[in-house]
Amino acid sequence: MRQARLVFVSLVFFVSFVSFVSSVSLVGQIQSRTEPVAPDRLVRLERWLKAVDQHTPGERDDALAEVGSWNTGELRNLWIDANILVKLMRNLKAARFEVQPEGQRAPSNIGYTTSQIRRLRALACAAAGVLVSDPVCNAMSAANDVDAELRRLSLHAGGGTLDGDANYILRRGAILHADVATLNPPAPVDSVPAPLSVGPQRVRIEMSDGRQTDIRMSAIHWEIAEMVLDHVKPPGADKPAPGRDDMVRQWYRATAAWMQLHEEHDTLHLDRARRIFPADADILFLSGCQHEVYARPAIQSVLRSAVLPSGFSADFESSHAELRRAEGFLRQAVALKPEIGEAHLRLGRVLGLLGHHAEAVDELRHALTRLDDDQLRYDGELFLGAEEEALGRFDAAREAYRRAAALYPGAQSPHLALSQLAHRNGDRAGALRAIERVFALSRDDPGRDDPWWTYHKVQARDADALLEALRSPFVTAAPR
Amino acid sequence: MSRRRLAAALVVALAASPRARTQAPTFSARIESVRVDVLVTENGRPVRGLGAADFEVLDNDVLQQVNLVSFEEVPLNVILALDMSDSVAGERLDQLREAGRAVLGGLTRDDQAGLVTFSNVVSLGSGLTKDTGAVETSLNEAYGSGDTALIDGAYAAMMLGESDAGRALLMIFSDGLDTSSWLSADAVLQSARRSDIVAYSAAVTSAGETPFLRELSALTGGTVYEIDSMKDLRATFVRILEEFRHRYLVSYTPRGVSKEGWHRLTVRLKNRKATIKARPGYLAGGS
Repeated sequence: MRQARLVFVSLVFFVSFVSFVSSVSLVGQIQSRTEPVAPDRLVRLERWLKAVDQHTPGERDDALAEVGSWNTGELRNLWIDANILVKLMRNLKAARFEVQPEGQRAPSNIGYTTSQIRRLRALACAAAGVLVSDPVCNAMSAANDVDAELRRLSLHAGGGTLDGDANYILRRGAILHADVATLNPPAPVDSVPAPLSVGPQRVRIEMSDGRQTDIRMSAIHWEIAEMVLDHVKPPGADKPAPGRDDMVRQWYRATAAWMQLHEEHDTLHLDRARRIFPADADILFLSGCQHEVYARPAIQSVLRSAVLPSGFSADFESSHAELRRAEGFLRQAVALKPEIGEAHLRLGRVLGLLGHHAEAVDELRHALTRLDDDQLRYDGELFLGAEEEALGRFDAAREAYRRAAALYPGAQSPHLALSQLAHRNGDRAGALRAIERVFALSRDDPGRDDPWWTYHKVQARDADALLEALRSPFVTAAPR
Repeated sequence: MSRRRLAAALVVALAASPRARTQAPTFSARIESVRVDVLVTENGRPVRGLGAADFEVLDNDVLQQVNLVSFEEVPLNVILALDMSDSVAGERLDQLREAGRAVLGGLTRDDQAGLVTFSNVVSLGSGLTKDTGAVETSLNEAYGSGDTALIDGAYAAMMLGESDAGRALLMIFSDGLDTSSWLSADAVLQSARRSDIVAYSAAVTSAGETPFLRELSALTGGTVYEIDSMKDLRATFVRILEEFRHRYLVSYTPRGVSKEGWHRLTVRLKNRKATIKARPGYLAGGS
């Protein structure tokens, strides 16, 4: 059974187009086997290397367009061949050509021909920046086997190595695929085929307004990026250790934030990030936010009714269970970084939804002492009002709702809350006065903003800045 | 809350303005009277000609003195609460407007109508007015965009109904699941227990997706119609209006029962077997 990942996309404010993307990996059942390799595959691998070298991070350039045009089958083969390539980069004498996707019990042998293996080694020499400096590469005259673009690539990669960072292709490759995923519109893809035996597959379930609207295969750019980053050796390390590399950490944080901002939540992306960075407060915070989002009715409704292709399953649970997951991650985040007011806010909200109202009030009050962002303060006051109301402290609830209303006069939620609070207390006139405030707001008033509507993604509001910071060293500095 | 002054309900009307959207709800005084909308049918057909003496009302099992029963002659306040989320566009929007116009066309000149639309945004299209043309104008201007705040929208529409002492019929249309309300279903259902509005719903969805609408209708004595297609909406709305007009408005002043808490209602005919549909009770007092 393959396990799926989630993504949710809101294309336009108010026009919520939600996409549940399920990226899958093999779990058990698949026996070790030899995959034949079509002749054109290494040509694509070479084009990929050149695109990685030539892409300007953050730009919709020719390199991005080319890689973005490859279909799911081509990308799956690229994932396999790039996997072998980066292993050869680390050990040019390697003679086993196997891949073992996440969750697959047995490795699959890739059946390269002798000439293909020679070509792979030459490409690995270039990608590692050792075309003319490594004895293995010299012995096979690799420099004579590659063209000028690859020789230039080798110089770029070697420059990074001389600076102490032998990860040129890996870092830039991850950025290229993140750029394709974030900057390039998804290419049309075929309907869902039967599960393949090797390599990751991604099933994309699109949603709108709480309903599934489409299900199809999706490109695996995130999986390729993750795979190459697994091989990053931090400066000074003698073997791959992505968990000790700050760029890898930034990459996961920025891309996870981007997914949440654009509601393209990937169920396995942050799982992988946590395995690499188990004690990173930012990643734990985003993980908590992700599971809080999964508990939303709009998501639960679709996931409960989604019919995934045979052999696939999605890693999601009931609303209550998702909230418990969120609680766990948020508790870890606040334990590691108590100063993150936003994590206390989220934890307070989740605790309230789980029925722990008194503890929720404590968390929310604590959060409000630390938050200076109006939108987050609004959310905090609104949630605090709800928790005070749940505890029967109606005056405190009313005051919290009023403070929220004062922060965003054009928001409807505090007035709805005040109206309902008055009504439950038998104050019909008060209920009507509060609802009049809602009715006085024009639907089309541009100032009619209710942060509640975007609460599910406000945690990722800095995603673009994080991506920019991630790309920046690769744009302005010499090749890394 | 079901206690209000019935006399006021019969005479209060809002002045119509050229643009109903600008009208604000008004408020009415109330006294300790309970009224219950009751549908009496035999073999699926409404039973006509019943009077106060035919009804037996038990409030928390205490027999009450029914002091007023009216049928058809009481003007209605019809509040349309319409889902205008993303999924309602193009032909579906046309069909929704057509259904709304059919309701407005079925009102008498003494009836009032109001319009609340909801996506994630809850918006007053028109306050209660006898000027159905103004309501229709608002209906024609409404469009679909955004997520669905069904619970928020239903609550706001209920409050619009409560802003006038008239006999209120809430007609809700939704084609999907609530995805963005602030208010919880439980809170709004609790408000419904205090309100004497009758909520009917038409939902283009499967039965499993409408627990809120089903509970709201059950609590208020209404019905949920789950329809397969928007094409059926017009006929469904017309049917709801027709059914509501055939309901009796039963009124009594509670005696021998607590002023607070949940009051279980039992409504039956004294000397006749018939199918009775009415709210199961009402909530009095605060919290």
